[in-house]
Amino acid sequence: MRRQLLFAFVASTCLLSAPAWAQSLKIALSSEPTAIDPHYHDLTPNNALAAHIFDGLTKQDEKQKVLPNLATSWENDGQNRWTFKLRQGVTFSNGQPFTADDVIFSFCRTLKNETAIAGSFADITGNFTAVEAPDPHTIVITTKAPDPLLPNFLSGLAILSSSILPHDKLTFDVAKNCGVTGAWPVVGDFNDGKLAIGTGPYKFKSYTKGTSVELERNEKYRGPAEPWASVTFVPVPNAGPRLAGLLAGDYDVIENPAARDVSRIKDDKRFGHVITPSTRVIYFQLDVEREPSPFVKAENGKNPLKDARVRKAMSLAIDRDAIIKRIMDGAAEPAYQFLPNGMFGALENPPKLAYDPAAAKKLLAEAGYPNGFQVTLSTTNDRYINDSQITQAVAQYLTQVGIRSEVDAMARAIYFPRRAKKEFSVALGGWGSTSGEASSFLKQWAATPDESKTIGGSNYGGYADPEFDKLIRTAITTLDDAKRSELLKQAGTKAIEGGAFIPLHFESTIWAYKANLNYVGRADQFTMAMQVKPAK
Amino acid sequence: MTASKTAAVTAGADTALRHKVLRRIKSRPTTRGAVILLGILLLLALLAPFIAPQNPHDLASLSVMDNRLEPGAQGMSGITYWLGTDAQGRDMLSAILYGLRTSLLVGLTSTAGALAIGILAGLVAAQFGGAIDAAIMRVVDFMLGFPSILIALVLLASIGRGVDKVIIAIILVQWAQYARLMRAAALVERRKEYIEAAVNFGLPTRHIMLTHLLPNSISAVLVVSTISIAGAITLEATLSFLGVGVPVTQPSLGLLIANGFEFLLSGEYWIAAFPGIALVLLIMSLNLVGERLRRSFNVRGQ
Repeated sequence: MRRQLLFAFVASTCLLSAPAWAQSLKIALSSEPTAIDPHYHDLTPNNALAAHIFDGLTKQDEKQKVLPNLATSWENDGQNRWTFKLRQGVTFSNGQPFTADDVIFSFCRTLKNETAIAGSFADITGNFTAVEAPDPHTIVITTKAPDPLLPNFLSGLAILSSSILPHDKLTFDVAKNCGVTGAWPVVGDFNDGKLAIGTGPYKFKSYTKGTSVELERNEKYRGPAEPWASVTFVPVPNAGPRLAGLLAGDYDVIENPAARDVSRIKDDKRFGHVITPSTRVIYFQLDVEREPSPFVKAENGKNPLKDARVRKAMSLAIDRDAIIKRIMDGAAEPAYQFLPNGMFGALENPPKLAYDPAAAKKLLAEAGYPNGFQVTLSTTNDRYINDSQITQAVAQYLTQVGIRSEVDAMARAIYFPRRAKKEFSVALGGWGSTSGEASSFLKQWAATPDESKTIGGSNYGGYADPEFDKLIRTAITTLDDAKRSELLKQAGTKAIEGGAFIPLHFESTIWAYKANLNYVGRADQFTMAMQVKPAK
Repeated sequence: MTASKTAAVTAGADTALRHKVLRRIKSRPTTRGAVILLGILLLLALLAPFIAPQNPHDLASLSVMDNRLEPGAQGMSGITYWLGTDAQGRDMLSAILYGLRTSLLVGLTSTAGALAIGILAGLVAAQFGGAIDAAIMRVVDFMLGFPSILIALVLLASIGRGVDKVIIAIILVQWAQYARLMRAAALVERRKEYIEAAVNFGLPTRHIMLTHLLPNSISAVLVVSTISIAGAITLEATLSFLGVGVPVTQPSLGLLIANGFEFLLSGEYWIAAFPGIALVLLIMSLNLVGERLRRSFNVRGQ
């Protein structure tokens, strides 16, 4: 450890004295983080920002493989008990040492977080029955049901410093406020940086909503020092101005340049780019429960989406390859399931979801809708890559087989709350698997909600298949990897057959940067300064 | 002199003025050009369903495989896209013709609606005065105190989108200026002797308002409204550009420009440029004609 610190010190002094490259880094984001508070909202831009300032017990690499972080090792007793060994000699950016107390404090905060959106992160800690610290560098977690993915989930749960609040002895006793004597912080308390104290490679400098987030190198970081003394994130939601900023030299790195513009920088020696397949699936969620459904109009007054043949017809009507070629400019992979092949619990060779408008029309006629019906597709226009354009193209395809479609495109700030209130009939969605396993999508979107809402939280379409529910519920509590993988494959097949979700494609993420840099793209779509290194 | 006789004299003067105005418009080449251009644009908008190569509102007739083609390119089905296509494979020429239709529809109906409300409110305020006048004018002051784009944005955010809703929003934003103008004109007119005579004759208030006050004070408002049509169209285009206006599958000129905006940097200029040119021509011709009318009638509007 001491050697590491020494190395860090020497490295950072060298960097300070070597003006070979500018030490400041400016990154243009397509989607702005909504808060500095790392427990506010479990959202890709927020989690990516948090990973600069805070560490989790574990972390995920570029391909979402779980690695040690604040915990050096962990083991499971074959049941509900997990033991995590914590890293020693780690200090927070305010100089306080990191111990098991900080872990208990952070777990408690996610359960005492009044401003959190949709119970973010409480879905992990809500499953804990006990958290104990036999010594300052060991944490023992007992879960209600076996949770094979706990180390995966803990990679996203930021560890705060317990020194930010007055407290007595900290225990995982939520009823007794965990021993904290002050008021639990809310989202706004983090924005001036006083509470944004972490163990990550960067520390907070300033935040102006809609303008910028500034970070500076954490000189107390345990690992090798980062090459950048300061990092600035600038939100630039429009792809055009974002690329123009890179071309003009204002930004060093930009995320998500439009795929059609890649040809502009491909042959330019001043810039580089990387295209990385992600686990984010883009799909339509159908209302298969209500009768009638608000945005479906059929001659017989019923909700045609309840008929499996109609759902199959809708999937057959869509030309996924054409959308990828013409709308996504090739920067996507067709999706025939909810997680790409090769990931844990995904099918190796899923049957292709073919484009066959004639078969679609036939199925519609069989289902009693030879003249089709009317539907409104609801979509965001500022969240996923080309979201509104994708929905309009799907509307074209559906209209061509007789399902007359309209498109209602709106900003995500309006869309997400409305979708959560089940105001839509056919809604666009996007989901990246945070755990890197097939269970992520299936349990969140397709499962029937349970009493404690830890599964099925986003099942807005009311999909309910008892066989599927049994498979997914068994899968998520099965510790044996081979068995779990098999169960997930069966559950995934059922969900596709059910047709309540129509997958379209997996997004590929593009980053473009100045040629004097190197960038390593991540499957989880996080844009991070840690991925940027000066080119040798 | 009886009231009706005065009215007749005024009407006679009006006819003479009208001839003078028409003469002036004809004699000025810019104004004449603007009138001809406006006529052509109106005709194109009216005939759009008959002359457009494609119905851009019918999703079944679009093909995403033909998207972002250059002007003059040929589509898979053999159709030639003279002005290119947008990201959805929409023929830009057809989209512009239909967009013109939407823009003019919104501009004309919303101006007519705002005129009706504004004239009525201004007339009532001028005729009755006192508390009624004060109440109406405070509402007018309140409406004019906010930027119109702000009011329209808030309205549309709460009532949702659609051509009808955009029209409602623009009516609500624009009626106040007509009310103020109408009130001023009617107040001047009310002090004239023939109105006093009519009042002394004991004619009913409604009769005085509708047959004397209204026709003799309306010209200023009507003239200003021609310029306001351009304002209404611009407001619609702005709202659609910001994404709260018309539905994405039935684009107006403003929405077409917004759609093309993201492709400008990719070199696909035609998606934004051609609807932009159409919008500029429309607004310019409306403004020139309106401005000429205003000067000829010597109205100090707005």
